[in-house]
Amino acid sequence: MSVDPWKGILKDTQRHSAYLRYFEEWEARIGSFLEYRLSQDDPSDSGRLPLGGVPFGVKDNIAVEGYHCTCGSKILKDFTSPYSATAVNRLKAAGAVPVGKCNLDEFGMGSSTDNSALKKTHNPWDVSRVAGGSSGGSAAAVAAGLVPFALGSDTGGSVRQPAAFCGVYGLKPTYGAVSRYGLVAYASSLEVVGVLADTVDTARRVFDVIKGQDELDQSSALYPGLSRDRGGNPGAAPPAASTARIAVVEGLEGLSPEVEETYRSSIDFYKAAGCEIQPVSLPSLDYAVAAYYTIATAEASANLARYTGIRYGYRDTGAVTMEEMVRSSRTKGFGDEVKLRILLGTYVLRSGFQDQYYGRAQKIRTAIRNDFDRVFAAADLLLMPVFPVQAFPHGDTSLDQFQQKLADKFTVAANLAGIPALSFPTAPRNGLPVGMQLLGPVFSEQRLFAAAEIHEKSLGGIPRPHGFRSV
Amino acid sequence: MAEYQSFIGLEIHIQLLTATKVFCGCRNRFGDEPNTNVCPVCLGYPGVLPAVNEQALLFSYMVARALNCDLSKTAYFDRKNYFYPDMTKNYQISQFHSPIGRNGWIEYETGGELKKVRIHDVHLEEDAGKSIHRGTATLLDYNRAGTSLLEIVTEPDMETGEDAEAFIQNFRRLVRYLGVCDGNMEEGSLRCDGNISINLKGKGLGTKTEVKNVNSSRFLKLSMNHEIGRQKRALEKGERIVQETRLWNEAQSRTEPMRTKESAHDYRYFPEPDMPPFRPSPAFIADVDARLVELPVYRKRRYEAEYGISGDQVQFLTEEKPVADFFESTVTAGADPLQAAAWICTDIQKNLNKLQIGLEESSLTSLRLAALINLVKEGVINRKKAELTLSLMLEEDKDPDVIVREQGWEQISDSGAIEALVTEVLQANPKAVDQIRGGDMKPMGFLTGQVMKLSKGQADPKLVQAVISGKLGS
Ligand SMILES: [Zn+2]
Repeated sequence: MSVDPWKGILKDTQRHSAYLRYFEEWEARIGSFLEYRLSQDDPSDSGRLPLGGVPFGVKDNIAVEGYHCTCGSKILKDFTSPYSATAVNRLKAAGAVPVGKCNLDEFGMGSSTDNSALKKTHNPWDVSRVAGGSSGGSAAAVAAGLVPFALGSDTGGSVRQPAAFCGVYGLKPTYGAVSRYGLVAYASSLEVVGVLADTVDTARRVFDVIKGQDELDQSSALYPGLSRDRGGNPGAAPPAASTARIAVVEGLEGLSPEVEETYRSSIDFYKAAGCEIQPVSLPSLDYAVAAYYTIATAEASANLARYTGIRYGYRDTGAVTMEEMVRSSRTKGFGDEVKLRILLGTYVLRSGFQDQYYGRAQKIRTAIRNDFDRVFAAADLLLMPVFPVQAFPHGDTSLDQFQQKLADKFTVAANLAGIPALSFPTAPRNGLPVGMQLLGPVFSEQRLFAAAEIHEKSLGGIPRPHGFRSV
Repeated sequence: MAEYQSFIGLEIHIQLLTATKVFCGCRNRFGDEPNTNVCPVCLGYPGVLPAVNEQALLFSYMVARALNCDLSKTAYFDRKNYFYPDMTKNYQISQFHSPIGRNGWIEYETGGELKKVRIHDVHLEEDAGKSIHRGTATLLDYNRAGTSLLEIVTEPDMETGEDAEAFIQNFRRLVRYLGVCDGNMEEGSLRCDGNISINLKGKGLGTKTEVKNVNSSRFLKLSMNHEIGRQKRALEKGERIVQETRLWNEAQSRTEPMRTKESAHDYRYFPEPDMPPFRPSPAFIADVDARLVELPVYRKRRYEAEYGISGDQVQFLTEEKPVADFFESTVTAGADPLQAAAWICTDIQKNLNKLQIGLEESSLTSLRLAALINLVKEGVINRKKAELTLSLMLEEDKDPDVIVREQGWEQISDSGAIEALVTEVLQANPKAVDQIRGGDMKPMGFLTGQVMKLSKGQADPKLVQAVISGKLGS
């Protein structure tokens, strides 16, 4: 199982036209791309390159020169990026071909992709359901077999949760393992460029290409490098996956029966494979969501201040003064969820209140790191569910925006701690995929891949939605 | 009448002479076509990240060190949030929680006296672009956006406008000596706002006002003194001082409240997540120390004490580091310090002005100047011929002894030759001779001049005088 069958698909006329037909049929149903160009020729004489001629999708908050970079927002609807993200450049250098920009929740803010101001994306398993978010377009495109992999971004679960909803692999790398240059900032200290892929091997190969220090991102680290501030021994060889010590969390509440059963059976699977299962508690997890939204919105309030219509993006031309222009461009250009987060972020950063909110959130962040350090002192990996429920229907009133945020509990912790996490699909239940995730200490991605791979073998490849056809 | 005390503190911004902007690779250059030195980073495009410039950090640590600050072992940036069209991200990357330097002090000289000012902090930040208003439209030039700006905040340790003027002049020399800023106040590469309050003596600080738009050291003096007077009159009338920002009105020579309403900003500082903290290595600090120099104020005082050079001369010698360095290496090369000072401050300056070049661009070296001074000292040429020699040295890029030889300017120090010349002049001027013989020494100078003229300036004037005196028995 690898990405190799995809090589040269754009070059070969016959394969290309079959691919185009397949792509467009699916795309009409799921709406995973905001923009795509499949007609483009494979530019590389690419057979020998590691990803030569392999098409891939890019979440539309990651810059690809010549493509739009809308971030799913009206405020950047007509904006074209004058440069490419480092991760994209590295993939192009490895021969891969970006074929389009994938839909997302506006600026990455959401868990359903329904917060996109530009397009509706549907889950390939059931088009009445959401693809998850915020990298919903990327996950749906991979699940439907339109591309073998897509780049996403994970700020609080935005790669792993849609991967779980659509039944694909979703890697959230160690903070700093992949350059953020070209990723439109939402919450800079939390987010990373991640990978959605149809096999573990593809995820690994893509990660190997995009990882590593970049002078354009001074928060990026040598890989595998020493973690800059914390423990971990990333240079060490990963333990054999089949004998890994895997921590599992006891007493998780609020899981749907399907997710709970899958968690149990996944634990059983690894136990049967020879792993040592260690029940642990993560007391700080209960505070993770509050800390996450405090920090994320604080950073967002600054990161989104640049969208004023002065130099680029949507400008309300009716305004007379500069202040009016900025105010009304932002009022009309941003969606409600974005405005809510900007306001929250502004609120938590007010002088005199910083200790109460932002300062406390940073303390919780430290506590979460300490919790993980404690777990990884005795265990190699941690196994957790990704999201408490499976993909929910569009407009589901049982899970409003606030409850969707609470449900981020299992994903945000990895972002707060800066550690890597890999979401992997399991056998579908009630016709929908269920995702579990493996977490490890900083720079332990190879360990995550190895452990996910033994599960992948038992599964015989990821489950596919009805109508899938392999290339 | 009550006795008042005044307190002046300064907030100084200097543009660092880094090759590129502080967080991107754009050229750091002024006067180019608007919006030509820009890139996605300094224009704040979606997805870009700042990457701090090593040279900016080095220059900043140099200034902090020269100002005797505690150097930060973990310096990091903060975001200062406010909307401003000149600022592309609508937050400024600055330093608030952990600036590069803190708790410093610096001495400056005023009226021959050393005074001390404490430094609150030294922090690195990015500059904004420029708005250009054209009728009802506003044009934006972002060439300056993201250039490196170092802010130095002093404690309110100055008392008068004269203090502030002297301080800023001393400070300007300091940053020029370090080579980190050109110190041009008119063009804004050194900017200064003054904070000022007064109070009854012994009562501590009063309510302060901030004076902006001061673009010369003289205006700083005038504005501070004006503000002291204004606040004093207000207090005497029983009014309260309003804490506000005022602008210096150059035409009216007074400060005025800023007309645009400046709402109380909450900058919502928080640590910049895009760049990790900078932890200077021992090698970095060693590099900083290696680049420090004797500060101009101390150099000046040393020249006064060691060489007895004073007044305009010592001021001129120490104003610019290259000149002071040139002076010192001339002395090291064996020249008399007073002679070296005299030559550098007058003759050399005159020649350079004529050629319209700077000392560094000229062919003059300290070794050549020392040689020239010694040719005079040893009596090989006289002072007049030495001046001509200097001009030729500059024009022809030659050593002084070569020029003297080529021109045949060696001084006539042979008393036989001089006696012949003297005899000739005395014979031609019997009236002057009689006068001197009669006890009126006035024509001595005239006669000496005639002999010099006859010798085409090559006679040793001292010897000429001695021979005349001998012959006339005076
Ligand atoms: Zn730039």
